[in-house]
Amino acid sequence: MTHLTLNSLRKAYDGKEVLHGIDAEIENGQFVVIVGPSGCGKSTLLRMIAGLEDITSGMFMIDGELMNDVEPADRGCAMVFQNYALYPHMTVRRNMDYPLKIAGLSKEERRRRVDEAAAILGLEPYLDRRPAHLSGGQRQRVAMGRAIVREPSVFLFDEPLSNLDAKLRVQMRIEIKKLHRRLKATSIFVTHDQVEAMTLADLLIVMNGGRIEQIGTPSVVYHEPASMFVAGFLGSPAMNLLPAEIRDGQLRLTGMPASPLAEVAAGIAEGPVTVGIRPEAILLSGNQSEGLPVTIDLVEELGGSRIAYCALADTALAVVLPTDGRGQEGREVRLLLPAEALHIFETASGVRRDYTLAPVSPATEVRNAAGLRDMVIPV
Amino acid sequence: MTTDALALPRRARRASSASGWLKGFDLAGGHVVMALLSLFCLFPVYWMIVTSLRPANKVFERSLWPTAASLDNYTYALNAIPIGQMLVNTLIVAAIVTVVQLITGLLAAYAFARWRFPFDKLVHVLIALTWLVPLQVVMIPNYLLIANAGLLDSLTALILPHFASALAVLMLLQAMRSFPNEVLEAARMDGAGSWRVLWEVVTPNLRGTIASLAILIFISTWNEYFWPLLLTRTPEHSVIQIGIQMFMTSEGTQWGPLMAASTLASLPIFILYIVLQQQVVSSFMKSGIR
Ligand SMILES: Nc1ncnc2c1ncn2[C@@H]1O[C@H](COP(=O)(O)OP(=O)(O)OP(=O)(O)O)[C@@H](O)[C@H]1O
Ligand SMILES: [Mg+2]
Repeated sequence: MTHLTLNSLRKAYDGKEVLHGIDAEIENGQFVVIVGPSGCGKSTLLRMIAGLEDITSGMFMIDGELMNDVEPADRGCAMVFQNYALYPHMTVRRNMDYPLKIAGLSKEERRRRVDEAAAILGLEPYLDRRPAHLSGGQRQRVAMGRAIVREPSVFLFDEPLSNLDAKLRVQMRIEIKKLHRRLKATSIFVTHDQVEAMTLADLLIVMNGGRIEQIGTPSVVYHEPASMFVAGFLGSPAMNLLPAEIRDGQLRLTGMPASPLAEVAAGIAEGPVTVGIRPEAILLSGNQSEGLPVTIDLVEELGGSRIAYCALADTALAVVLPTDGRGQEGREVRLLLPAEALHIFETASGVRRDYTLAPVSPATEVRNAAGLRDMVIPV
Repeated sequence: MTTDALALPRRARRASSASGWLKGFDLAGGHVVMALLSLFCLFPVYWMIVTSLRPANKVFERSLWPTAASLDNYTYALNAIPIGQMLVNTLIVAAIVTVVQLITGLLAAYAFARWRFPFDKLVHVLIALTWLVPLQVVMIPNYLLIANAGLLDSLTALILPHFASALAVLMLLQAMRSFPNEVLEAARMDGAGSWRVLWEVVTPNLRGTIASLAILIFISTWNEYFWPLLLTRTPEHSVIQIGIQMFMTSEGTQWGPLMAASTLASLPIFILYIVLQQQVVSSFMKSGIR
């Protein structure tokens, strides 16, 4: 059993705080991915867990035992570094053997463990080579082997795949996942690649500016982003975030008073909000009377799917187009933003609001159609 | 039309062959310059060896090749002074100084590279400053210290003031700073203490620097003259440079034996250079750290 507790962890460099109180509980065997933009403090947090960086304040516990002042080697964590950090003068075998030698294990035991790890990682042909004579992927495997042989209770990875080319990255990602299934050791994986984050994580920690924005399963984080930041960070293309307002029990995009998006329950504070909708949740309207009229500026062909960028008021709206070929560059189309796919955020704080939204009733639509005519006539 | 078409490639061909010729000249010219420079450096050495082979009455001959070669000078030199003993002494002094300076240099550089401690910058600057202090300035205080310790005319006295050098500390520090930090952290995660990290992780990867430093320290200790001159009283406790000087007497200089002794004194340096040179080159080739 390995259970990690992070209790308002803070880190300051020369009085400048870069981590502002991190709280998290990590269960035994979970694969946790920490994701966030560059400079948000992911590496710093991981290194504090590893013991390579002092904890300025707060508590870090493994199985309820305070680890703040425990030496890195005694925390039972093994780390895989971005630049592999292999010992240049040692062969692959000696690289993997080194932690075991220090731990004072018997020769037979060391041999057995290294051979086993080499077999798991397919490193047998390279055991007598030095790191300089290995490819990037092989070096990365050696680095993982060096972590595995120690049979640690926690694996730490700091962007281990970012030096590999795209194809190898996918392959190594799958291997890491398989390895985790096999070893079932608690793992913490830092990345700024959202595909890696979504595919690997049992539990996703999204960080921004030295704070945790959201903790949850990839599915929850994707479908119920806790903040505007999370909503915009995960997903490609990113979620559309549009200024809107709540008035008269209706949600309308700013500058589009004629087409309400949804009805909101009574008693909800009126005022400006931000509406989020994923590009794949937007539908093309089948008729010319319904939906938001927009012009398609640009279409990106991704092979499997097509993404349209439309101008709506002064924001760009990304839309995943249907596969039936509708929607060409320069065409005017009408977009439907289904009420159940909308996310509402407080504009100022970015916090999510779980308002109950209902589709706009036909009656109001008539009223709007009338309203539209009213507006048009004076012009 | 046709002539143009024909002429163009011909002109082009000529131009390209001219530039190729120029390139060839550049390469050959470079080699000529390097060969001349090597000759310039090697000639005194050659002259030393040739003179050492000339009989006493032909020492000042100008022919490039000794007209009558003999080893008389060597026999004479070996009998006149205890050259064997002196060579052994010099070897002991130079070897111990080299090893000790490398060890103190590694320890000091490691401390500077790894830890922040009070006044570390100041200490660093002070060490660098000792490099600028000429040997002559500290010679007299050192002499007095050695004399008070009763160590005059001993090899210990020759070694003692050379236990640490700024050159070794600064060069090793430079090399350690460029050593990837992640590797040190990996070692720490693997459970290696600082002592282990120094000897098992850092030092093996500094072989190039250590080899070049070893050559530098060994040669400068081997060639040292003033300090031994000040300290030694008897040939048996002296080093080879003092031995060579013994052929320069008030009655005149015995050039033949002097050159013979000098040749003998240079041999170990040649050997060391040949042995370590390979090490230096190969370490530089291998230093593709990461
Ligand atoms: N040794 C240090 N001294 C001072 N500031 C530091 C130090 N290390 C990191 N920082 C600061 O801490 C913040 C977080 O850095 P960190 O390396 O954890 O970011 P990161 O999320 O890992 O980014 P990246 O994705 O680029 O690796 C940054 O603003 C950085 O400038
Ligand atoms: Mg980082």
